[in-house]
Amino acid sequence: MRRAFILAFVLTLPLAAVAQELRLPNKEGSVKFAVIGDSGEPSSGQIAIARQMHAWRSRFPFTFALMTGDNLYGSERARDYERKFSIPYKALLDGGVQFYASLGNHDDDGQTQYKAFNMNGQKYYTFKPQNGVRFFAIDSNYVDQKQLQWLDKELEASGSDWKIVFFHHPLYSSGATHGSADLQRELIEPVLIKHGVNVAFMGHEHFYERIKPQKGVAYFIIGSSAKLRKGDLQKSPLTVYGNDETYAFMLVEIAGDELFFQVINDKGQTIDTGSVRRAGDVKPNPNGTTQPVVPQAKPSPVQPGPKK
Amino acid sequence: MNVSRWLALAVLCSSCAASPAATEHTTTTDAALQQSERKTSTDPAVNPHAAALLDFEVRVKAYADLHKRLAKGDAKQMETADPAMISAVKARLAAKMQTARRDAKQGDIFTPDVRPVFRRLLAPELKGEDGRDAKAVLKDDAPAAGTVLFKVNAKYPENQPLPTVPAKVLLSLPTLPAPLEYRIVGQHLLLLDMEADLVVDYILNAITT
Repeated sequence: MRRAFILAFVLTLPLAAVAQELRLPNKEGSVKFAVIGDSGEPSSGQIAIARQMHAWRSRFPFTFALMTGDNLYGSERARDYERKFSIPYKALLDGGVQFYASLGNHDDDGQTQYKAFNMNGQKYYTFKPQNGVRFFAIDSNYVDQKQLQWLDKELEASGSDWKIVFFHHPLYSSGATHGSADLQRELIEPVLIKHGVNVAFMGHEHFYERIKPQKGVAYFIIGSSAKLRKGDLQKSPLTVYGNDETYAFMLVEIAGDELFFQVINDKGQTIDTGSVRRAGDVKPNPNGTTQPVVPQAKPSPVQPGPKK
Repeated sequence: MNVSRWLALAVLCSSCAASPAATEHTTTTDAALQQSERKTSTDPAVNPHAAALLDFEVRVKAYADLHKRLAKGDAKQMETADPAMISAVKARLAAKMQTARRDAKQGDIFTPDVRPVFRRLLAPELKGEDGRDAKAVLKDDAPAAGTVLFKVNAKYPENQPLPTVPAKVLLSLPTLPAPLEYRIVGQHLLLLDMEADLVVDYILNAITT
């Protein structure tokens, strides 16, 4: 019995090592960050993801994390900020990781004043952590004239930087519960295309889905960092890869004209990996379908959930 | 504000006409924004509902000005590492607004004259296939039935999600100054103060089926 146990342990050891291999280049000077979404639920999944993030940071020293919304489910009293955010992510906060939040439909505007969310009192904002890369947090709950004009202006001003947007409602999705936010897409997408946005990170759906690049923009849904809706992902022609079986977060690295990603579950296993390459200075084409983004998917060890 | 909006629109239109390159880069979003400007215009020359909308704009501005005057000192939100401060400031601001508007009642902002205009503006966006999608979105993020109190100065329920307003629906309505936002709950249109979490006014059955 004991021998069998040791044998099983030895056999699984290399598999675990492979599964936990860092698949990012981890280059010096590159932009390194994590992405979590729908993370404000005090659950075992949330704790497990926070622990994995901390553990992986020792090998991949990301300096900040994007939040795709629903940062605090339910009430938002002082104790909730602690229970749903600052306690589970304490090790990362203590380690100096900066969190940049966007608002979901469960989030109160008061979060914009919370220093640890780095929103500076704004529901939509932009920041540039390093030369060559600019991020835009969009409030997809309330896309009014003012916000559309702001987005247009800020994207225009961002020049040749990598342009990365993050927000809550997925413009494309294969989720059974929500699906694509068509009505938001109708007005947001043309602005993204016009200015050559490269990548969008979104949440709302409680799973992970990598969408086929749409009109040149690479879309990722990461909404399973604390909540999971098993069986909700209905693999569709939009899906390159998806997983609704495990909690997940993303590690991302931008080095030159390539963005590398690695998606990791609550057990520390890699469930998706690949890169997005931009071709450089390509003139934006508002009505066209070509943009400087090419996905380069690598085989993923875990298959998408069952098709309904 | 109206004059400046119309000037901006005029400049935009003239630059589009003068420059073929600019026309090429006009997106469907730009077109939607221009259409929105026309539909919600307070210029009587282009909009038969201009007078009612202008009156609405004045009332909304008066609310925003009051909010600005009261959101000072210990009722002013500032970035903080202490989340207890956020809810405390919010509560103080809400109390100040409720006191200052203790006599406020339904229809003070959504006056009887402007209510049919809002119903008319909302109706096309909630009809047909797009309308079905819009209604689905509203239902998707809706607060639990019976949790929202349709009463001026009532607090929006703390534990409930805020229903997302589809962008096209928002563009059909007059733009609001901070901290005001529209929300649709069921068939009803709410005007919310997002910093104080207060119901400012509402139109019952704003969406006609």
